[in-house]
Amino acid sequence: MSDITASQVRRRKAADAVWRVFRFVILTGLGFVILYPLIYMVSCAFRQRIDMNDPTVLWIPRHPTLDIIRETMDAMDIWNTLKNTLLLNIGCSLVQVLSCAVTGYGFARFSFKGKKFLFGIVIMMILVPTQVIALPLYMQFRFFGFGKFSINLIDSFATMYLPAITANGISSGLMILLFRQFFRGLPRELEDAAYIDGCGPFMTFVRVMAPNAASAFLTVFLFSVVWYWNDYYVSATFFTNTRTIALMLQNLDTELKIRLFNSAAVEISPREQIVWKEAGCLLSITPMLVMYAFLQKHFTEGIERSGIVG
Amino acid sequence: MAEKSRKSPVHLSYQQKKSLYGYGFISLWLVGTVIFFLVPLVKSLAYSFSDVSIGTGHTALKFAGLKKYLYVLGEDEYYTRYLSSTLTETLWKTPLILIFSLFIAVILNQKFKGRALARAVFFLPVIIATGPVYPIITGDIARTGNSGAQQFSTLFSTDLVGGLLQFLGLYGISDSMGSYISGIADNIFGIVWNSGIQIIVFLAGLQNIPPSAREAAQVEGATAWEYFWKITFPFVSPYIVANLIFTVIDSFRSPTNDVMRRIHDMGSDWRFGEASAMAWIYFSIILAAVGLVTFVVNRLIYYEVD
Repeated sequence: MSDITASQVRRRKAADAVWRVFRFVILTGLGFVILYPLIYMVSCAFRQRIDMNDPTVLWIPRHPTLDIIRETMDAMDIWNTLKNTLLLNIGCSLVQVLSCAVTGYGFARFSFKGKKFLFGIVIMMILVPTQVIALPLYMQFRFFGFGKFSINLIDSFATMYLPAITANGISSGLMILLFRQFFRGLPRELEDAAYIDGCGPFMTFVRVMAPNAASAFLTVFLFSVVWYWNDYYVSATFFTNTRTIALMLQNLDTELKIRLFNSAAVEISPREQIVWKEAGCLLSITPMLVMYAFLQKHFTEGIERSGIVG
Repeated sequence: MAEKSRKSPVHLSYQQKKSLYGYGFISLWLVGTVIFFLVPLVKSLAYSFSDVSIGTGHTALKFAGLKKYLYVLGEDEYYTRYLSSTLTETLWKTPLILIFSLFIAVILNQKFKGRALARAVFFLPVIIATGPVYPIITGDIARTGNSGAQQFSTLFSTDLVGGLLQFLGLYGISDSMGSYISGIADNIFGIVWNSGIQIIVFLAGLQNIPPSAREAAQVEGATAWEYFWKITFPFVSPYIVANLIFTVIDSFRSPTNDVMRRIHDMGSDWRFGEASAMAWIYFSIILAAVGLVTFVVNRLIYYEVD
């Protein structure tokens, strides 16, 4: 009897050891797949373009330089672009978190006629691709108002802020759903106590529910920032002049062509152009990476607590 | 009671008051959704059945029946091709993403040194994959042959898989199976980079497994295999549904897929009728797919939990 258990224990130990090695190999291998483009970005952004044609250069640049970064920053007009992105994208994402929280709370805690139907619309918002409504939406902003009293909102911040304020911006359906699930999970006693103390529903929401939902707020806010920061489709539809980081990165090719590639003095192959493009990528994700480095665990915490499928 | 409330509308019952407050909380969204979602949605449906001419001022619609739909399906040289390629890609990638992300979530839920770092790395695609950076890096990596990219792709690619299959003595494996497997290996990049959110959601599910279930399994002497199928899987199954739906929507809605780009190009050409018809065909397929998936999986889940 004890023999069997001893051999069992030994076998289990061996299996554990094998598993540990296997796990390590899997995680490093796949981790490398994820980190590879980032390492590549850093490696390319700090080398001169001749290194692209040097087969001996794999990761470490032979001719390290900061010129590429400087030129790309110049081409992207980085400080103005950054300012625009902060004012437009980050501003919108902040506003939208608040409006979605209010809406989600309404759906989570009150019963009213037509609630099921209205929530069906929220689900539709998740399902409908932006492309389906982009064209009519464009016309709507082009002639915003009724009949003759219409103004052109294209190229103004209102095209992004108005939907954000009314919880109808980028991925807002998903955000309302997240908040609804989260608020449903909070104990009812919290509100009842506030009601008995004479708090109105809105004050109850602001004073009691919102502070308890801090982690959900943070998680949704982080996703909101990421989605707005990365958006190029919606902003490309509504803006012709305003420049955000994502739009500038999309147009980096053209911009660089005007500034660098088209001059008769130098000829730059598509292969060599990669250094500028990778530099542009690096510039545009660095702020997100910094944010991620500090707040990484909050990306998951809120989702874990929200019981999103419950 | 009813009379009373008609006379003095201030005195509403508690229930009525609460439902009024409910409308209050969602009113902002409701106004917005009518203006920025429902009206455009209906308009785009109208566009798809019309000849749209854009003059100075407003758009003029002339009813054209199914003309645009027939054109898009029959004559547009790209649309149907893109449509079928997007559909097949979603079809084979979705199960892979689900299996992969569940597998990684199970690993990341175990205790080991460097777990925090591993989690940080595997969630990283979440902040990058939706943006314009992703298409650029995938393009650049494909373009540069020698600088590591090739080593990297051969590391996971056909040769290795083929070698492995031979090593295992699986000569008789059918060609289609073999190409499917090497297809997975070639696309490992796309799968890993599109699994971030799914891993997070699965991890949340795994952490909901009560410790008592784990202890019971340990007392009963369950193997890791049994533990996975008897404990992990049932607890995680609602999250599989959530992830399944999310993955399908995510891959359909991605602005980088061919259909989306075709619709965008049509719109840029001011051919609103055709673009809207394309978008609506596409959207109906999404709806049908999500509906079907939810229906089938809900039945399966029901029996499993039972």
